[in-house]
Amino acid sequence: MYGKGLRPLSIATVAALVVSLSLVFFYAPLDADQGFIQKIFYLHVPLAIVALIGFVIGGVFAILHLRSGDSRWDAYSYVSIHMSVIFGVAVLITGSIWAKASWGHWWVWDEPTLVSFLIVFLMYATYYPFRYAIEDRERQARYASVFAITAGAFVPLNFMAVRMAQSLVHPRVFATTNGGLPGSMMLTFLVSLLAIGLLWVTLVKFELTAKSASGQLKRLRRALDAPAPGGRSRVAPEVS
Amino acid sequence: MLALLAATPALPLDEAGKYVAGAYVVFLALIVIYVAIMAAKLQRIERELGELAAFAEARATADQAAPGRESETPSISDSLASHGSRGGGA
Amino acid sequence: MTPSRLAFAAILGKDLRAELRTLQSLPAMALFAVTTFVIFRFGLDRTALSGSLGAGVLWVTLLFAAILGINRLFVAEREEGGFDAIRLAPIDRTAVFAAKAAALLVYLLALELVVVPVFAVFFLDSAAALPPLVLVLLLADLGLAATGTLISSMAVNSRARDLLAPLVLLPLVVPLSIAATGAIEPLLAVGGPGYHRFGTWLAVLGLYDLIFLLVGYAVFDFLLED
Repeated sequence: MYGKGLRPLSIATVAALVVSLSLVFFYAPLDADQGFIQKIFYLHVPLAIVALIGFVIGGVFAILHLRSGDSRWDAYSYVSIHMSVIFGVAVLITGSIWAKASWGHWWVWDEPTLVSFLIVFLMYATYYPFRYAIEDRERQARYASVFAITAGAFVPLNFMAVRMAQSLVHPRVFATTNGGLPGSMMLTFLVSLLAIGLLWVTLVKFELTAKSASGQLKRLRRALDAPAPGGRSRVAPEVS
Repeated sequence: MLALLAATPALPLDEAGKYVAGAYVVFLALIVIYVAIMAAKLQRIERELGELAAFAEARATADQAAPGRESETPSISDSLASHGSRGGGA
Repeated sequence: MTPSRLAFAAILGKDLRAELRTLQSLPAMALFAVTTFVIFRFGLDRTALSGSLGAGVLWVTLLFAAILGINRLFVAEREEGGFDAIRLAPIDRTAVFAAKAAALLVYLLALELVVVPVFAVFFLDSAAALPPLVLVLLLADLGLAATGTLISSMAVNSRARDLLAPLVLLPLVVPLSIAATGAIEPLLAVGGPGYHRFGTWLAVLGLYDLIFLLVGYAVFDFLLED
């Protein structure tokens, strides 16, 4: 029963988001260097951190899938990666807006973390064509798990390599001239991180519930020997 | 409350505000788009569930009607009841 | 249970002999690379390359030529029932991974044996950079062999298999490419080979190789299940 606990979770997410936004706009002080633009950081960075953790979680589910053979882990892995890719889109767009506001260009190659994230995003974007090109459902799930594990191993290597390739280092937000975030900013950041994390978990649960409902529907249809509905056959992983 | 309002920094109406707003708007838009897509999925599930329910009921009444001579003519109140419940539930 | 090294030698031997006999992949890869150099000469409007430009042209060309070979790595297994034979044989599946990766490594080295001198003749002033260049390429090829074998073994069982391997492989080898070109760029400097951060980049290459050889070793069993 995936829907169980979805309501309290969503309520907690909404509450956390409201508190976080209030802190961002009413409590956190203005940054000395970047001014009001720095407020984007409370959205962009938590999204990035949660997306990356989501990819790692997808890899962990993939390992569990390979070891147990239970297809539920594969569905969890797929949804985790799927949600992190969507969050990744948000990361790249908000990062681009931040770049335009801070440095005047919609994209800068000088920011190693943003560039690394782009490459990670491109890697996981290939997950979909890769999955859907494999027709046999069981094989598709197994290969997808291998992909998730390989891509998971790739992420830290990628961040390291890109950082090493930079000759210029742009000011990192966590190391201001004072040598660290002031307490009020740190609190706001942590609450934002919690809120975005809760959002990720809620949406993953939501997606799994929908998939589960579809899966149950298929079971019912099979049990009743009812005719199948028109429409394209989906090769996407199912939950039943 | 008034103290809170007094402490609220006036939103600078220069360029910076537009970019920050833009970023949060993008975030909101993505969430809403996701909700819309899930709503479409939910609609499809509901529709298919309705079809299945109709199918199952039709089969149940057919099973009732076919074998037994006791229930040769399904009573009008029966079909009214099943129609009513379907109409009520839809 | 056949000991792994026998299985390894058998599969590697089969692949190399088949390639020698039919010469399917290697000449095509080499020809592709040399023609690409010519295209770069005109595309960049340059007759000499050095530094980052030289490193980029060399690495990108080698990478794309390698992809041609990677696409064909498991074709024989797929078309002639080799996968079934491997599944039935009482061998450790990881020996298959090691053998296929080793075969790919041999192809890449053979490719470079031809292509790197041609590159030097076309674009470089002196051959002083070649010995350290060979070391860099050896480490890079190892990483390419590990990831290429892993991805190719999955792509071969899919639709659009020629498209899938390059699609998934290219982002995966970005760190490898960064390290390889990072090491090669100072080697091709105008005044003579430089070794700025050479050791560091070699360490990164080594780390990449280690990680993906381990990943391949750990997951390959699951790829051959049916």
